[in-house]
Amino acid sequence: MKTLLEVKNLKVRYGNIEALHGVSFDVKEGEIVTLIGANGAGKSTTLMSICRLPPPEAPRVTEGDILFKGQSILNVPPHKIVSDLDMALVPEGRRIFGNLTVEENLKLATYARSDGHENIARDYERVYSLFPRLAERRKQRSESLSGGEQQMLALGRAIMSKCSFLMLDEPSMGLAPLLMYDMFRTLKELNREGLTILLIEQNANLALRFAHRGYVLDTGEIVAHGSSEQLLADPEVKKAYLGG
Amino acid sequence: MEIFQHILNALQFGSFYALIALGYTLVYGVLRLINFAHGDIFMVGAYIAFFVAVSLLGTGGLPLGTGMDPALTLALTVPVTMVLTSVVGVALERTMYRPLRRKGANRLYVVITALMAGLILENGNLALLGASRKRFPDLIEKVVWNLGGVSITNLKVIVIVAAILVFLLLEFIVTKTKIGMAMRGISYDKFAIPLMGIPLDTIIVFTFILGSGMAGLAGILFAMSYPILEPYMGALIGWKAFIAAVVGGIGDIRGAIVGGFLLGFIELGVVAVFPSTLRDLFAFSVLLGILWLRPTGIFGVAQTTKI
Repeated sequence: MKTLLEVKNLKVRYGNIEALHGVSFDVKEGEIVTLIGANGAGKSTTLMSICRLPPPEAPRVTEGDILFKGQSILNVPPHKIVSDLDMALVPEGRRIFGNLTVEENLKLATYARSDGHENIARDYERVYSLFPRLAERRKQRSESLSGGEQQMLALGRAIMSKCSFLMLDEPSMGLAPLLMYDMFRTLKELNREGLTILLIEQNANLALRFAHRGYVLDTGEIVAHGSSEQLLADPEVKKAYLGG
Repeated sequence: MEIFQHILNALQFGSFYALIALGYTLVYGVLRLINFAHGDIFMVGAYIAFFVAVSLLGTGGLPLGTGMDPALTLALTVPVTMVLTSVVGVALERTMYRPLRRKGANRLYVVITALMAGLILENGNLALLGASRKRFPDLIEKVVWNLGGVSITNLKVIVIVAAILVFLLLEFIVTKTKIGMAMRGISYDKFAIPLMGIPLDTIIVFTFILGSGMAGLAGILFAMSYPILEPYMGALIGWKAFIAAVVGGIGDIRGAIVGGFLLGFIELGVVAVFPSTLRDLFAFSVLLGILWLRPTGIFGVAQTTKI
C-alpha cells in the first residue's frame, strides 16, 4: 500500500510553548487511521499543523516535516491543500457557514473544483442520497439545523470539495449515540469506496473499533501504536483510555 | 410640485450616500472592518476622474492632450476611473490592512490604521496638488426637462439610475455567485474558508475592488454634479455614508441602499421645512432615533455567537 500522509518527527510551538515534541505517524492509501488521546494531548494541533488554518490559530512547525504523496506540504498554502491535493478537514465544532443555506454551503465547497459539471452533479447526488435530511432542508439556513444535521453537512461539504484524504476532528462530539453510529457507518462506506481517513477522537473505544490502525498521543508524544486489535488489547491503553 | 422637486433632489443625494455606503458595508461584511479611509477613496476617485478627463480632453495643459470629444471622454473616464480607484483601494488593503491581519492584530488597530490611511490620502493630495481647488470639466451637455414645474436634469437621472443599477449588480453578485457566497461565508467564519479550497486573500481583494470601484463611480458622478474638487471633499460625505450604512444595517447591501436614500430624504426634508443650517443637526438626530429603536440598523441582525 502506498503511503499517503507521512508526518516525520514533527515539533510544533504555540508561542513559546512546545505542543508537539517530535510526532511521527503515517497513513496509507485506503486506510482508516485514528489518533487518540486525552484532551490537550496534541491531537487537534497535529491536524492544524497539517492544514495550517490562518493565524491566530495556526501552530508553528519548528522541526520535522509533513509529506503528502512524498511531497512536503509545509509550504503549500492552506487553500491549495484542499483544492490541489484533494485533502479535506471536517473541523472540530463543524464550522459550517450558518448564514448560508444547506445548498449554498455545499456549493461553496465546489469553489475550486475544475473537474467538470458532471462530476460535481454526481457528488451532489451522492451527498443527498447519503444524507436525505440535507436534501429536505437544502433551502434552509444551516444554523437552523440540529447538531447531527450540521455534522452531516460538514461531511457533505468535504465530499463536495472532492477529497481522497479526509481528516475528521472529533466528529462524535455532541452527537447522540444513534447519530454517532450512523455517521461512522457512512464513513466506513466512504472508506470502502476508496476514501482514506485520519480520525481524531477522544472516544477511543469508538475510534479503535472503527479504524484499522491507531496511534496514542500523550502530551505531545506518540506513546503507543499498532493495529486496532492490538491497541484494544493493550493493558496500558485499556487502563488509560478505554475505561479499565 | 415643489415636493416632487425635493424628492428628486433627495434621490440624487441619497444615490451618492448609497454608492459610498455600499463600499463600507461590503468591506465590513467580509472583514468586520470599518474602512474609515473609504470616504477618502471616493475623493481620490473624483481626482482620478479629473485627471483622466482633462488628459483625454486635452485641457488643463497636460501633455497627454488628445482633444477628445466630451461624450467619448466620459465613456472612457468611467471605466478607467473605476479601475484606478480599485487599484488604490486594493493598495491600501495590501500595504496597510493585510500585514496587520497576518500578525493577528486586534481589529481596533486595523480601524485606527484605516483612519490614518484616510488622513494620509487627504494630506498626500494636499502635498501633491496644493490647496487650490480643481474645476471638473463639463463632460455632458446639461439637459433640463420641465415636467409640470419639476425641473429634471439628465445628470440627476444618470446618478439615480447608476445607484440602482450598482445595487442590483452587487445584490446579484453577493446572493447568486460563488464568490458572493464566499464573501458571505467569510463574514460568518473566515477560518473555514480555506478549508473549502478558497483563497481568503483573493476574496478580500475582490471585495475591495468592488467597494472602491463603486466609490470611484460615485466620485465621477459627484464631480460632474458638483464640479469643484478639494482634498477634504470625501471626509464629511464619507462619514455620512458610513452612518447611512450603519442605520441601514452594516454588512447588508440592501441596508446601504435604504440607509443612503433615507439619509437623502431626511436631509432634504429638513431643508424643505427648516433653515438649511439645521440640516445636519436634524438629520443626525433622526438617525440617532432610528438606531435607538433598532441598534442593529434596519436590515441588521444581532451578531450570533458561535460555538
